[in-house]
Amino acid sequence: MQILLQLIYSGVALGMIYAVIAFGYQLTFATSDTLNFGQGEALMLGALVGLSLVGWGLNFWLMVPLVCLFGAVQGAVVERVGVRPAIKIRSEFGWIMSTIALGIIFKNVAENVWGHDDLRFPSPVPESPIKILGANVLPMEIIVVLGALLMMAAVELFNRKSIYGKAVVATFNDRDAAKLMGINTSLVITFSYALSSMSAAFAGVLIAPLTLTGSTMGAVLGLKAFAVAIIGGLTSGMGVIVGGILLGIAETTTGFYLSTGYKDVPGLVLLLLVLAFKPAGLFGKSVIKKV
Amino acid sequence: MIHTVRQTVLAAAIALGTFSAYAADSIKIGVDGPFTGGSSSMGVSMRDGVRLAVGEINKSGGVLGKKIELVERDDEAKNERGVQIAQELINKEKVVAVVGYINTGVALASQRFFQEAKIPVMNNVATGSVVTHQFDDQPDNYIFRNAAHDSIQAPMIVEEAIARRGFKKVAILADSTNYGQLGRADLEKALELKGIKAVAVEKFNIKDVDMTPQLLKAKEAGAEAVLTYGIGPELAQIANGMTKLGWKVPMVGSWTLSMANFIDNAGPGGEGARMPQTFIQAATTPKRKAFIDTYLKTFKPKNDRIDSPVSAAQGYDSVYLLAAAIKQAQSTEGPKIKEALENLQAPIEGVVTVYNKPFSKADHEAVTANMPVFGEVKGQRVVFAYEDDVKKAAEVRLKDVNAKGALKVEAKKK
Repeated sequence: MQILLQLIYSGVALGMIYAVIAFGYQLTFATSDTLNFGQGEALMLGALVGLSLVGWGLNFWLMVPLVCLFGAVQGAVVERVGVRPAIKIRSEFGWIMSTIALGIIFKNVAENVWGHDDLRFPSPVPESPIKILGANVLPMEIIVVLGALLMMAAVELFNRKSIYGKAVVATFNDRDAAKLMGINTSLVITFSYALSSMSAAFAGVLIAPLTLTGSTMGAVLGLKAFAVAIIGGLTSGMGVIVGGILLGIAETTTGFYLSTGYKDVPGLVLLLLVLAFKPAGLFGKSVIKKV
Repeated sequence: MIHTVRQTVLAAAIALGTFSAYAADSIKIGVDGPFTGGSSSMGVSMRDGVRLAVGEINKSGGVLGKKIELVERDDEAKNERGVQIAQELINKEKVVAVVGYINTGVALASQRFFQEAKIPVMNNVATGSVVTHQFDDQPDNYIFRNAAHDSIQAPMIVEEAIARRGFKKVAILADSTNYGQLGRADLEKALELKGIKAVAVEKFNIKDVDMTPQLLKAKEAGAEAVLTYGIGPELAQIANGMTKLGWKVPMVGSWTLSMANFIDNAGPGGEGARMPQTFIQAATTPKRKAFIDTYLKTFKPKNDRIDSPVSAAQGYDSVYLLAAAIKQAQSTEGPKIKEALENLQAPIEGVVTVYNKPFSKADHEAVTANMPVFGEVKGQRVVFAYEDDVKKAAEVRLKDVNAKGALKVEAKKK
């Protein structure tokens, strides 16, 4: 029982990491039907910028808002450079290529600035584990889970309650109609990219003390988060949390009970099942596209 | 007047001609290793060792009166990159030999092209047992190595854990690459010779950030020590995972536990890890002192610690071995260099050892089981694990073909 608990703790911590990145995919999808495939790189940049700031003697908690600001600017740049031209000419796939390309460019820049090696991120809290109900948890893991939930709640609240949120919903439902109603849709889309990269950068500094920090840290995480976004549904905030935790726990428990060689399989099987039976995701609403 | 102009032009043309002839006349040696990614601390240290040796050789007149020119390529520890680079080095750069290969998988994927082109490969870091035996079924083998292969390392690890420290239950944690899985097989074989079966054999992927399931399995099986086969960042995750679970048992593993990115990322959790080493950054002989001093002066690594001292030393030595062979062969043709390597006349003083007939036709391994020592992570550096080794450190351990302790390597099945 204690072992299962330990596996679940680790799974939840891992799952929340995936969820918070997947959340970023959702934000841009909600406004423009596009995804930022450089999401993993946005996370990596956030973590590395955070590492540099901490290295210059800044306190961890003071550094977080600065990193968020950096993430927002970076996201806006991605949208302006990569996505907007594609949307303008109504290209179906241009944004896929350009966001991937920008991701690669960011990775190369990071390699040149911070080097190729994985670096250690100093933990802002004690690194000795705490016992909860007989299983060990790192204080940083608790911060990751809480921080992720808090951030998602804040963004959701903002989207639902503020006037901006209404603009987002309007933009998603019918971009042209929203434009006619006086909504600056292109600004809404830019803003959603900024918000999305901001959440990724925030996730980066949150998880960096647990994982290692380096130019390649985003690749695998970005991919797994994409799977989570598909499982949970690209239109549901609840979906990514459930999807992330499902995938995280599936990985740790299969690793222990079946074989560590197969630990990535159940998550991918789940992905295939979801695509076959509920293509919009577990919590997603299927939208009928009229052509 | 016209005459003099014509003369000058002619002279310039001749000068230009000789210059380009000179450039084409340098001896091109390929350097292949991962200079980016998780294996980069080994790759970069190796490359720096190679550069150091080439610099020294060129300063004292080069080989056969020609300068050595390095063609460095980053294989990113990816097999497919290695294959592309191999073809480029052979067909475009026309190298006379290659040094390098850090990752066993990349070595195995790439060296067939050199074998076909009859160009010698000096593996200076990759340790997979089969690396030099890939072409045992062919009359000529162009693959050499001056690194401690896994059939030496695995029994050393087992000897350390079982015989010297008396652990009865051990777990194996290995990554899913060729390196980790071939190493795991060697560890299992070496354990079997001691009549022991690992209580848990677990696998992890490169870039895995959570080792909880693997460690829990080892813990539940009652492991008293963890034997590892992986590279720095993931090994650090193992050490960090142990801290998290509050379960601390000794780590004994392959030489990669000496990588800077393990030591730095594991922090206090990595202290006490032990691994076989052909070279420890300590000025135990004048040659080693000179090497360390020049390395630190030229490349200025952080805290005066070479990121991977073993890779740097072996990289340095590999160039001297090749240079000696080219000199002896008086030729840059692959088959002749290979023949010279198999029958090197003069001893070569390297950093790891003095190479006295390091290779023969049947034996392409310069390092034997008697040569490596055990290193231990202590105060963020790798030091000698045993007092006895410190006392004898000034003694250069020579190759001993009859050295006991290595596993028998079976030729790769086709």
